[in-house]
Amino acid sequence: MTICKDVEPQLSQMVDGHLPDAAAQATVRAHLEQCAACRGVLQDLERLRRTSRALGPMTPPNHLWLEVAGQLRLGETPKPIDAPRRAIPNPRGPLAQWIGLAAALLLVSVGAYYFVRPPNSAPVATQSNAAPAGTVEAVTEELSRATSHYEKAIAQLEALKKSEGNPLDSAAGKELQDRLAAIDAGLDSNITEARAALTQEPGNQAARESLFEALRRKVTVLQATISLMNEMAKGNQAGAAEAVSVFGKKS
Amino acid sequence: MAPSNQTGTPPRHPDFALAERCRRNEPGAFEELYRLHSPRLFGLTYRLVGPNEAEDLLQEIFLSAHRKMALYKGEAALGTWLFRLGTNQCLDYLRSKRARLMLLTDAIDQDAPAAPAASGAVLSVVERMDLERAIDQLPGGARAVFVLHDVEGCEHREVAQYLRITEGTSKSQLHKARMRLRAALASGGKRRNDHDDLQGR
Repeated sequence: MTICKDVEPQLSQMVDGHLPDAAAQATVRAHLEQCAACRGVLQDLERLRRTSRALGPMTPPNHLWLEVAGQLRLGETPKPIDAPRRAIPNPRGPLAQWIGLAAALLLVSVGAYYFVRPPNSAPVATQSNAAPAGTVEAVTEELSRATSHYEKAIAQLEALKKSEGNPLDSAAGKELQDRLAAIDAGLDSNITEARAALTQEPGNQAARESLFEALRRKVTVLQATISLMNEMAKGNQAGAAEAVSVFGKKS
Repeated sequence: MAPSNQTGTPPRHPDFALAERCRRNEPGAFEELYRLHSPRLFGLTYRLVGPNEAEDLLQEIFLSAHRKMALYKGEAALGTWLFRLGTNQCLDYLRSKRARLMLLTDAIDQDAPAAPAASGAVLSVVERMDLERAIDQLPGGARAVFVLHDVEGCEHREVAQYLRITEGTSKSQLHKARMRLRAALASGGKRRNDHDDLQGR
């Protein structure tokens, strides 16, 4: 005598027409004849299956194609190959964006050096005892350290780009990258503000300090980016998240 | 003895032409491919990984399809190739996520909660939206089996390959997933009716 517990697991196979042989089918059918509960289950499974098959495709939101095309740099009408662009081989995707960012940071920091340098100080190479040594040396050291950070970052990014596969090419990587980009945008506006203040009042110590603070944090963002990429390259999602989480606290 | 046709290369699928155009970066080619195939892949992604991550993942799938286009040799329809690529990408994503929180091998071990009032059918009608929501509540492994088999129409053999499980496991997980959905839809439908009653007062 068959009982529901034994028959029920076979009902799915029955719905799919997968019951192994005539004997198995006969057993299940015999049980169904006298068991309304199992007939009900069978009926439900058939309904469920029909609806499942009918679920079908879903149209993705329109902006998705634009994002894909943007990432691939496919335009509506492709631009002719222009020489300057080829300077960075195969620029595409998030990695290229980071390289762009790193390059921009380099310009920012070098520019900032000349900008915030005390107006009365001589060029670094010839400077002897013009300005208060502490300030100028601190400024110089700070900026040269920042610059070397950027240069190292660019070198690492370049090296990573050459290796196969983009470690940030995953949903998790994108998420982390977006967070860094948001932090970076915030720093950019700090830098802009500090620069504006310095334009009005070149000797403004507070503005100079806030500019440096923003630049320092930019360096940290860049370092986090590199460790993010390293962790992602190693497949260490948790480590990558940790690299970024440093910023969540401060900003 | 009849001469056998042993050229070694099977005839190329007509889709190969579109793939070639994409590879040559012909204007509009990749967009054509996207428009043709994104709806099925979006449905797949949406149901495998859930609504929150589906958009990001769909983007990833098409970016990697673009990168890997040279691997498509025209041995099958482009849709089949993309479906495989997309499925594997979703499953890889779920596996990487599992390290932190979710479980692809998180099969349904205990039996589905007993359906209410064991006699007779409990589902009068299965609404698509209710079913979509119920699928999103299934645990990882059973969910993937259900989506691939019942929604996408894969055979158990294929499901087993994708998920690196046996066909037997695929069959039993499918049944458990279906019973879970049945229970969820029965109680969900009931709740909705109660809610409607309240609204009606």
